[in-house]
Amino acid sequence: MKKILVASLLALALPAVAASGDSEAGKKKSTPCAACHGANGVSASPDFPNLAGQYDDYIVKALSHYKNGKRKNPIMQAQVANLSQKDMLDLAAYFSSQKQLAVKH
Amino acid sequence: MSAPRIAIAALFAAAVPVHAADSNQTTLENKIAQCQGCHGIVDWKTAFPEVYRVPKLGGQKANYLVAALKAYKSGERDFATMRAIAAPLSDQDMQALANYYAEKK
Repeated sequence: MKKILVASLLALALPAVAASGDSEAGKKKSTPCAACHGANGVSASPDFPNLAGQYDDYIVKALSHYKNGKRKNPIMQAQVANLSQKDMLDLAAYFSSQKQLAVKH
Repeated sequence: MSAPRIAIAALFAAAVPVHAADSNQTTLENKIAQCQGCHGIVDWKTAFPEVYRVPKLGGQKANYLVAALKAYKSGERDFATMRAIAAPLSDQDMQALANYYAEKK
């Protein structure tokens, strides 16, 4: 009975875990991103988007689309080639926790 | 040309640029309103083909926003709603919208 309870708790918990990244882990993985997007997620070049404060699920979606080829950009395609889903979630958690972008009303 | 005709012509010449400026302003406001239907609402989500929050645009780099709109218009970036929105936009429209969103407030 206890095992069933634990199993059902795990089943409930897993989707939540899968949907959220670890911001600290993301910070460690973000070094290559900083070259273009800035260490604080605010890009130094006008051509590269700011990531700071962007929604985490949008960042994950963008990275996934670069990886699966739906979104095409030679630089980003190379960057995401070796990223796992967990890496993407962690990076998204990190950049979404920074401050810059806002919903303009 | 008689004096009244010259006067009328001069009035038209003076009036036309003002009208054009007014209608440009109105057009831009209408175009912004189109964006705001999704991007102006906190936590607004896409519904199809995938579900995720639409990106925050306030405080984003203008050059990046123009490049994104152009990529939607050309079809290089593939998202049905944004392709439909970007299709009728001129380069000037894109720049004006990008400048609007580059300002966070």
